Amino acid sequence: MDFQFSPEEEAVLREVRAFIESEATPEMLAETYEIGYFYGAPLGREFIKKFAAHGWLVPNWPKEYGGMGASAMLTFAIKEEMAYAGVPLGFVAAHMAGPTILHVGSEELKKKWLPPIARGEYEFALGYTEPQAGSDLSAVNLRAVDKGDHYVLNGQKTFNTHSHIADYHWLVNRTDPDVPRHKGMTMMIVDLKSPGITIRPLITMAGWRTNEVYYDEVIVPKENQVGEVNKGFYYLMAALDYERMFTLGTYQRLFDQVVEHTRKTTMRGQPLSKNPLVRQKLAQLATEIHVNMLLYYRLAHILDTGQIPNYQSSMQKLFATETSQHITQTAMEILGHYGPLTKESKWAILNGRTIRFHLSSVVETIYAGTSEIQRNIIALRGLGLPRS
Amino acid sequence: MNYDINEEQRMIRDTARKFLSKECPGEFVRQMAQDEKGFTPQLWQGMAELGWMSLLVPEQYEGFGGSFLDLAVLLAEMGYCCLPGPFFSTVVLGGLTVLEAGSEAQKAEILPDLASGKRLMTLAWLEEEGSYSPEGITLTATSQEEDHILTGTKLFVPDAHVADTIICVARTAEAGKDGTAGLTFFLADAGSPGLRVEVLRTTAGDKQCEVTFDHTPVPKKNILGEPGGAWPVLKRILQMAAVAKCAEMSGGARRVMELVVPYTKERVQFGRPVGSFQAVQHHCANMLTYQDTIEFITYEAAWRISAGLPFDKEASMCKAWVSDSYRKLVGLGHQVIGGIGFMEEHDLQLYFKRGKAAELAYGDTEFHREMLAQAMAL
Repeated sequence: MDFQFSPEEEAVLREVRAFIESEATPEMLAETYEIGYFYGAPLGREFIKKFAAHGWLVPNWPKEYGGMGASAMLTFAIKEEMAYAGVPLGFVAAHMAGPTILHVGSEELKKKWLPPIARGEYEFALGYTEPQAGSDLSAVNLRAVDKGDHYVLNGQKTFNTHSHIADYHWLVNRTDPDVPRHKGMTMMIVDLKSPGITIRPLITMAGWRTNEVYYDEVIVPKENQVGEVNKGFYYLMAALDYERMFTLGTYQRLFDQVVEHTRKTTMRGQPLSKNPLVRQKLAQLATEIHVNMLLYYRLAHILDTGQIPNYQSSMQKLFATETSQHITQTAMEILGHYGPLTKESKWAILNGRTIRFHLSSVVETIYAGTSEIQRNIIALRGLGLPRS
Repeated sequence: MNYDINEEQRMIRDTARKFLSKECPGEFVRQMAQDEKGFTPQLWQGMAELGWMSLLVPEQYEGFGGSFLDLAVLLAEMGYCCLPGPFFSTVVLGGLTVLEAGSEAQKAEILPDLASGKRLMTLAWLEEEGSYSPEGITLTATSQEEDHILTGTKLFVPDAHVADTIICVARTAEAGKDGTAGLTFFLADAGSPGLRVEVLRTTAGDKQCEVTFDHTPVPKKNILGEPGGAWPVLKRILQMAAVAKCAEMSGGARRVMELVVPYTKERVQFGRPVGSFQAVQHHCANMLTYQDTIEFITYEAAWRISAGLPFDKEASMCKAWVSDSYRKLVGLGHQVIGGIGFMEEHDLQLYFKRGKAAELAYGDTEFHREMLAQAMAL
């Protein structure tokens, strides 16, 4: 056993930190914060292209596709650095689509898509959820009809966050309606500028934007199909096992800021940090953050020892997202009446970040598989409990 | 990072698992809870033959020279079967204190006997206040020629009734401003004049004792470490003991899962296994999350101790998390398994009772959260 990074990993992480320190401008960080840490806005693209030139966007990809051939451990650690620093963090192309292309794509597809993705040139938006297909993704029915050398697509996606700033849609759709549902789905890459695509904003309670995406007679060339036809559902499920990692750095930073706030804020003649109840709460959160770190790097350990994470990915997603809510909930308790003040208010503390994160944390336990779905997976796959 | 135990640790684990599954079934644990002594010489002898008491003892003192992480692996197996007896008090409390504070001569005298299982030991520091602060220690040691005369009462002393040597933390001087002044370790022979041991009645049947020193003379050569310098050493040992206790709980967690999860696959209600109901599945998923996190945070802290890294913060995180999570895990286990787990004849209740004792030992969750808050400079 060994619970520290190797000297080589530490050296890369120091470089990453130094790069972020010198290259991340306040304007870029503000832009990234405003769009909820997704990739695709102009300043973020500029920053990430320079960042990616070191191979840091996809460290564990083979060098020929633009990676470093590095360990999953280093990949996970770099991602956590990015989260803590507040630079663009949500990459669908590099961290969700890319690995699937790497595992199931043809050589042609890999050569075409992976190098530019590794350079940060393309961003994808996730095209999974539909109005009737939330937790039950096999209910997808955006229809793709085979027309020989291309498909024609009709239907609707929803909650497709950052499709308005991404270049391509990482789409799962229905190619065969006459077989059991999970056997008739296919993955495709769709240019979001294609004629017939309409993107309509949905604004979340946290003020961040997500979208509905409508497809009306959209033509997609066959070469944009990923892997085999009708295997989409399986690719999607496997991708969840391979590449799931939920950073907590964004919330950990808020936690550190709140800790600092309790040291500096005096109440009845003593710092808030000396209040025994506050101390208990903060120590508990520090412990949960630490436990999440152990679950997070376990996934990297599993990958680096040639295995594929299974229920462990679900456990980490569950734990990280529940911890994020616990952090913001506790931070709101500590801030009291100041908590709900937005950044425009002259009395706002920490620039109103606490309430913003508190609001956004609501979705953490819902998107990418609700906590209930994660517990189902842990029980069924981790413990082998029966379905019926 | 590497989350796997090594080959040697796997051997320790497999040997322990094999031996204890035969020698320490639930029925034996129940008997020993009622037994006056709380263990059998045969079992102790068998453990000694496997070299368990020698695990942490360096080779120069006829030990195995293993690491704290090796010990954690073994303790997990002991926790798995609720092993009764004075292993923890002898090896963790006694052995570590001698290793940390003893002179060369004291180590050479004590450790070979400890390693071979001939000398049983324990550590007496808590008193009536029942607190982990230095102020709670009031037992006095007054210098008189070649001896110190110890007077006072220690409480919650594990296995003192069978110990050959009781390491007693006493005060040779006034407490002073921070309460740590004058605190000194004394090696008291169990047969010393005026020393009386009474076993307390505990729920889990673990043997905790009241140890009374009534003008008990202890030779000055039996002072362990620096006179007046016991507190920092004691604090360090208690942090290590906390992690060691967590290792026991991590094994217990695995056993509770084994008692509960297979049962949910077999037990049929409403025409289907209860494990197919999502309400039950989600309880089980939470239990597995507790089990995994208990294991990792324990091994991480044990690894830090073994690697010679600072471990104060991690040990407190570990004990805070494990005490809390283990109680929740066992509680969910009871909820899932239903009425049968509530029965004395079922093993699950052993883990509930032992878990409560382990939760309190060497600082409970709130205590360690406060320790952590201090380490975070709050």
